[in-house]
Amino acid sequence: MILKSTFFVVLNFVAVVLLAQTTPWEVPADRSAKLSTAAFTDQNRNTGKDLYQTNCKSCHGDPGKNNVIKLVPPPPDPATTQLQQNSDGSLHYKISEGRGAMPAFKNIMSSADIWNVISYLRSYNKDYRQLLAVKPAYGGEVFDKVDLKLTADPTHNAIVAQLTGLKGSLVKPIAGLEVKLFAKRYFGNLMVDKPMDTDTEGKALFSYPKNLPGDASGKVSLIAQLSNEELFGLVRTESTMAIGLPTDRPPLNEPRALWNVVQKTPIWLLVTYLASVLIVWGFIVLALLKLRAIFKLGE
Amino acid sequence: MASEVNTKFLQDKRLDRIASDILRPVGVDRSFLIWMSSLSMLLFVCLYAYYIQLDKGLIVTGMRDYVSWGMYISNFVFFVATSLVGMLISSVLGMMGYKWVKPIGRIAEIIAVAFSAVAGIVIVSDMGRPERLAYVFMFGRIQSPILWDVTVVVTYMTLSILLYIFTMIPDMAISRGRIGHTPVWLQKTYEFLSFNFQHKPEQYKILLKAVRILLIMIVPTAFAIHTVTSWLFAVTTRPGWDSTIFGPYFLTGAFVAGSAAVIILMFVVRNSYKLSRYITVELFDKMGKLLFLVSIVYFYFNLNEYLVPAYKMKTFEARHIIELFVGEHAFMFWSVQLLGLIIPMILLLFKSMRKPVPMFIIAIVVLIASWFKRLLIVVPTMEAPFLPKQNVPDAWMLYHPTIVESAITVGTITMAVMIISVLMKLFPVIPIWEIAEEESAHPDQHPVE
Repeated sequence: MILKSTFFVVLNFVAVVLLAQTTPWEVPADRSAKLSTAAFTDQNRNTGKDLYQTNCKSCHGDPGKNNVIKLVPPPPDPATTQLQQNSDGSLHYKISEGRGAMPAFKNIMSSADIWNVISYLRSYNKDYRQLLAVKPAYGGEVFDKVDLKLTADPTHNAIVAQLTGLKGSLVKPIAGLEVKLFAKRYFGNLMVDKPMDTDTEGKALFSYPKNLPGDASGKVSLIAQLSNEELFGLVRTESTMAIGLPTDRPPLNEPRALWNVVQKTPIWLLVTYLASVLIVWGFIVLALLKLRAIFKLGE
Repeated sequence: MASEVNTKFLQDKRLDRIASDILRPVGVDRSFLIWMSSLSMLLFVCLYAYYIQLDKGLIVTGMRDYVSWGMYISNFVFFVATSLVGMLISSVLGMMGYKWVKPIGRIAEIIAVAFSAVAGIVIVSDMGRPERLAYVFMFGRIQSPILWDVTVVVTYMTLSILLYIFTMIPDMAISRGRIGHTPVWLQKTYEFLSFNFQHKPEQYKILLKAVRILLIMIVPTAFAIHTVTSWLFAVTTRPGWDSTIFGPYFLTGAFVAGSAAVIILMFVVRNSYKLSRYITVELFDKMGKLLFLVSIVYFYFNLNEYLVPAYKMKTFEARHIIELFVGEHAFMFWSVQLLGLIIPMILLLFKSMRKPVPMFIIAIVVLIASWFKRLLIVVPTMEAPFLPKQNVPDAWMLYHPTIVESAITVGTITMAVMIISVLMKLFPVIPIWEIAEEESAHPDQHPVE
């Protein structure tokens, strides 16, 4: 029985590995054809390099040095044709969505930052010539600045994101654009509700769960972001609101424990150790005092 | 040790004979100088090896990422183990009233002093940055057995040194005027170490009380020192170390190594110092029986330590057991078990084998085997980590000690031998006053001449 189940586990594992190795990574045609609206500059490449060092290097290694981590299938070295043959859009899609051991970075890096990483990757390809996308315009209208503001509406359990465009002294709501709301957390933010389109007043309404964990006073860091980065660039806002449950968890290194620092020694251990040392050394001192007594008696 | 001293032995004629016998070899002579110079030269070579290690770091040893404890730690365990015999002979047997241990009590104390002092040095040899030793005291965690170990090693060494000095005070006083053949500085040292002792009954009374305090305190400390050393291993979950009997297993093993060391020194004292009148054939017979006793207890713990996991053969334990029984370390393992434990036990059953010469040979083999036994406890476990060993050079898989680390280890052993030599040659190696008191209490058994 054990042998049989072990056999199937192994077979399954082998199948998964082979499948992962052989199945080509399909990229939807529209995503594959996507291009960056901004030209790759040295500044992009440097930002991309920093991002690569932080997020990608641990698996993909140093480009051109073929020191990738040994996984099955192996992550490609960025300097190889295997990676460089991808279109800009395909790379953007693969980094955003991930597959298998490759994490999805869409909620970790902004779309613009993913383009920065791609500009860095392309610096290892001499034959690469960048094709630029035509920057789309919003209904022919051009704004000086586009603003996103978050307000809380606790009575309706709602967060309101207000999207407005500024043109001179004119403030105009922007309608019909998709906004996403996230709660900040370690590695990858948590999406709150679904992506919502702004209404005619430029407002997108998100409802949030009542049990959203906040900090000690119930505060949650919220991030709202315009999905389409090509229209106005990155439009993003952060705001901290007291809409979560107060979670007052003491830090893990708070209690006295064997593994903690010396100031957090368990009391029983501290007492045992100090008592043992004091008792034995007390008797040693006593013996030395007796030696003094012997010395005095001989005078 | 008696609770009272009958000072009438001081008027007994036997005291003169005993004192002159025991004090005759004391002093600096030609052969001692040659012996110490040879040891110093050897130590100098080994110190050069240590200089190389200080300069280049621990990379000059055979230790790498996986086997990070090698010969140094094994050597440390060996030193701590051997030093425990001081407690066994002087404290346990002495306080139980066994009078036959009186002539060898000081030999056992000398071993305790030398080996516990060098044990501290051995640990420093395992440090890549020895200048950070003070950090142990500045930033040490009370939760860590390593700090407990540092504490008990220092405490045990202090107790052993005090016990050695305290029991020698009457001898230092007796030696006044009897060591004219020795250098003046040595006579002054004797004067200092006699602490104004005038053989007054009150002085004896206080001395016995102080010695009794030390003898009692040294028992828990000695148990602690080697139990804590075993916990350095046993508090991990690694196969071969993850054992609940590691404390007593180490303790009993320590008594085997220590008894063998005492027998070797007894033989040296009997033959080189011509003190066969005090280190008698019967004493060897008694020590032979003691060695048998501690060996059979140690054998019992070995049986538990290896048979129980070998019966269960849990995945990781099994790999460790196979390595020891039939694998890479099988030759050393079976040599140590047979030559260091089983064959000596069988031989010691025969009275003819408990004579000085065969006992000397048996003790040397047992002591060498007990050194290798510590290597077998430390290294094979380190070679079998729970994590798979991937993408590392082949040389990192198994541990191969280098010449540099072997030389440093030889250096620490040389240091211990030098301390023992100095203490044995410059001070009375047998307690004069205890022997004199004993002989004077039983005049019929000990003729005046």
